[in-house]
Amino acid sequence: MREPVWEYLIVNYLFLGGLSAGLFFVSALATWLQEEGRPAFPHIARWGALLAPWPVSLGSFLLIFDLGKPFRFWKLFFTFHWQSPMSIGSWLLVIFTMLTMAYLWAWLEPEERTRLLNFIPTKVRQRIPVKVVKWLEHDLSFWRRELAMAGFPLAVSVGIYTGVLLGAVQARPFWNTNLVAQMFLFSALSTGTATLILVRLFDKKQPVALAEMRFLYTLDICLILIEFFIVLPYLIHGKLSVLAVQDALAQVLGGPFTFTFWVLFLGCGLLTPLLIELYEFKPVLLGQGPLHINPRWAITAAGLVILGGYVLRYVFVFAGQASGFR
Amino acid sequence: MAQKTKKRYAMVLDSRKCIDCKACIVACKAENDVPLGVFRNRIIVEKAGEYPKLRMSFDPEQCHHCENPSCVRVCPTGASYQREDGIVLVKYDDCIGCKYCIIACPYDARYHNPETHTVGKCTFCAHRVDHGELPACVETCPSKVRVFGDLNDPKSELHQLLASRRHQVMNPQTGNGPQLYYLL
Ligand code: SF4
Ligand code: SF4
Repeated sequence: MREPVWEYLIVNYLFLGGLSAGLFFVSALATWLQEEGRPAFPHIARWGALLAPWPVSLGSFLLIFDLGKPFRFWKLFFTFHWQSPMSIGSWLLVIFTMLTMAYLWAWLEPEERTRLLNFIPTKVRQRIPVKVVKWLEHDLSFWRRELAMAGFPLAVSVGIYTGVLLGAVQARPFWNTNLVAQMFLFSALSTGTATLILVRLFDKKQPVALAEMRFLYTLDICLILIEFFIVLPYLIHGKLSVLAVQDALAQVLGGPFTFTFWVLFLGCGLLTPLLIELYEFKPVLLGQGPLHINPRWAITAAGLVILGGYVLRYVFVFAGQASGFR
Repeated sequence: MAQKTKKRYAMVLDSRKCIDCKACIVACKAENDVPLGVFRNRIIVEKAGEYPKLRMSFDPEQCHHCENPSCVRVCPTGASYQREDGIVLVKYDDCIGCKYCIIACPYDARYHNPETHTVGKCTFCAHRVDHGELPACVETCPSKVRVFGDLNDPKSELHQLLASRRHQVMNPQTGNGPQLYYLL
């Protein structure tokens, strides 16, 4: 087996980038859906907005330190190579991160913004041109919906990009299928949803409402199902493909990653949370009344989804590098 | 003078002559200052059968200087590039060490240089070739396994070998168009 040259930092980076995309996506959806002219799920939207910029920023930071020459990272931004997923991705991440920051700013209350600005030392603050200060004090909250709409394609692109980074490498048969991008996208959106379930359940100030849980569960159930029906054809196609792909897949079908893939990812990270969420959702499906919210189950399901998202990336990063044409 | 056509460097390997003496590996290390622990070329050894009915093959391999190099395509900074004459090189000053190209090379021809933290690979000894010399491995090989030359020059030994002998490239299904030709 080849020595992997991309290791945990890359796994973390792909996971964190996807998580931000998911957080933003769900928050944007919650902003976009309106009820009587106001965002239908303001608490979900706000939490998503507050959290979205950070995982991706941390991830990019990790990526830079995984470079052999971290202090040359600026070279990424003085060129553009449209055939290189990494080049496209770096630009995409920068634009996406900036947008998530603006979106966060839009979701802050005026007092919160002032408080944040007060953190800047007075000396520095005095130097900031009045125009900029005015601009920062401007109430962006009217723009929440517009920012959310603008961010949808970006968040989806970031989710897809984390998969394309691997999928576009034709030298690695484990990755080189068009299904990897979708798999990573839906897994990313699902981890974002799960994180928001967790955050809403732990939010003691504004306890989670039934409608919110219903929204998040519906979303997560759909996302997990889609992901499942991407993983399934991925395996079937691979098994029916040329020898190099079959050999690559053998790593999860009897090879070193079998347990991780089937038990940790598919079993614990995908199907178990799906079953829990479906169970909680059952009364709604059968028209027997509102869904259960058993916080313990909900937290378990959400935690497992997040774990599954991480394990998926772990398996792909390592098994992919071990695959090849011989 | 003959009409000037674009050069296309390639290498022919008569693996059946290879005796696995590894002189090419040593010569390359010395010529190119390749750090400890990493290599630009290697000999793939394959054994089949049981003594006394035994077959062994030695296939020297290095960067194939592909026609459509996937390493170049994925490089985000343009540090990896292909010259007009087909040689694939790395501009070390532009390489950020992201290692994407190592992963994207189906022939595992690239390595991470533990000293400079950039990426290294066979250069076909471009610095020698540009002065009309042969790559170090070619010059060193005691059993004359390696023939280096210009594919587009009908008078070159390489061209004539390929015209007259059956040959194959390694894993053509990678789609990269590898330019190391192995005589059969
Ligand atoms: S063998 Fe690998 S490193 Fe060499 S040109 Fe082909 S893809 Fe690039
Ligand atoms: S490691 Fe260097 S040469 Fe390879 S893809 Fe990254 S920047 Fe390009």
